[in-house]
Amino acid sequence: MKALVLAVTLLGLAAAPALAAEPAEIALTIEKNRFAPEEVRVKAGAPFVLVITNKDGSPEEFESKDLRIEKVIPAGKTVRLRMPSLKAGTYPFVGEYHEKTAKGRIVVE
Amino acid sequence: MAATFVVTLREAFEAALLLGIVYTFLDRIGARAQWRYVTTGGALGLVASVAMGVGLTSVSGPLLDLGPDLIATVVIFAAVVLLTWHSWWMRRHASALHGGVVRRLEEARTSRRWWIVGLIAFTGVFREGAETVLFLWGLLAQASVGSWAGITGGVLGVLVAAALGWAIFHGGRHVNVRTFFSVTTVLLLLVAAGLLSTGLGKLQALGVLPAGEPLWDSTWLLDDRGGVGGFLTALLGYRARPSTFEAAGWALYLVAAGILIFGRRTRVRVARPVETAR
Repeated sequence: MKALVLAVTLLGLAAAPALAAEPAEIALTIEKNRFAPEEVRVKAGAPFVLVITNKDGSPEEFESKDLRIEKVIPAGKTVRLRMPSLKAGTYPFVGEYHEKTAKGRIVVE
Repeated sequence: MAATFVVTLREAFEAALLLGIVYTFLDRIGARAQWRYVTTGGALGLVASVAMGVGLTSVSGPLLDLGPDLIATVVIFAAVVLLTWHSWWMRRHASALHGGVVRRLEEARTSRRWWIVGLIAFTGVFREGAETVLFLWGLLAQASVGSWAGITGGVLGVLVAAALGWAIFHGGRHVNVRTFFSVTTVLLLLVAAGLLSTGLGKLQALGVLPAGEPLWDSTWLLDDRGGVGGFLTALLGYRARPSTFEAAGWALYLVAAGILIFGRRTRVRVARPVETAR
């Protein structure tokens, strides 16, 4: 039993840094040609992963000119987008296929 | 309708420009028989675009997360090499233009580079092809009474781009042949420089190259997010806030390619008196 506790503790200790190093995930949904939420807030200098799910019946392209990202998200699919650590500021993005409605921004603070 | 028109026009413009130039190039060197390389390349580009569009909807996980970026990056850098190669080749042809059609053909045949024009057509169509296919597909998928205007706009955008390609072909056949070669060489190098810059930006976004501060901000002058700026971004790689890699890559490429291609002119000039002496 003691050995088991020790093993679990050791495993936990070994896994903890790995978990902490995993960048935070931020969910973004596309529905009815709009992003939800339209504003994503992240900390400056910390990489993160945007998990974008397209709930619409048509593809969308996540595009940020500032961040040089163009990413097609087919209908009903989820795309994991690794984002670099950003400096403080506002980075707008659009859904290129529905630019009128699909707009949002990443606010880095 | 206007919005979808602009999107497809922007995506298809580069392909139309490249196809127009390579078709005219072959026509002007008297190698119309080699058009099939361009036609085949363009058609394969279209097939690949549809395949990728369909493929994307059937994959998921890392393949969907990273696959398209890897393919896009390879295509971009391949296009840079092909366009540079072609410009260099065109330049060599320009030197043969003083001879007859037979000599021009001989020159081209000995270099056996027909497949380059085919590959240029392929990459030209494929680069933005999958995106355009998915965009039009999306419009159709959402087809309702109100969105028919959107579909019409999207299709019109592609057609207008094709018409522009045709206009280049038509105009290119009538202008002075040396002018045609010079103008298109410069244009192709600018497109290639823009592609290289776009590719470097992509590598930075993917984390392969370190990201950095923008070198300057010319948004006040010309925004790259829409309108004319958006077109210049798609065609020539214009960026209102370029990174050091993007700006330096662009400039260094133009200098290096300029020397490689236009620097050969002296050799051509030296060769000419020998030719007349014969």
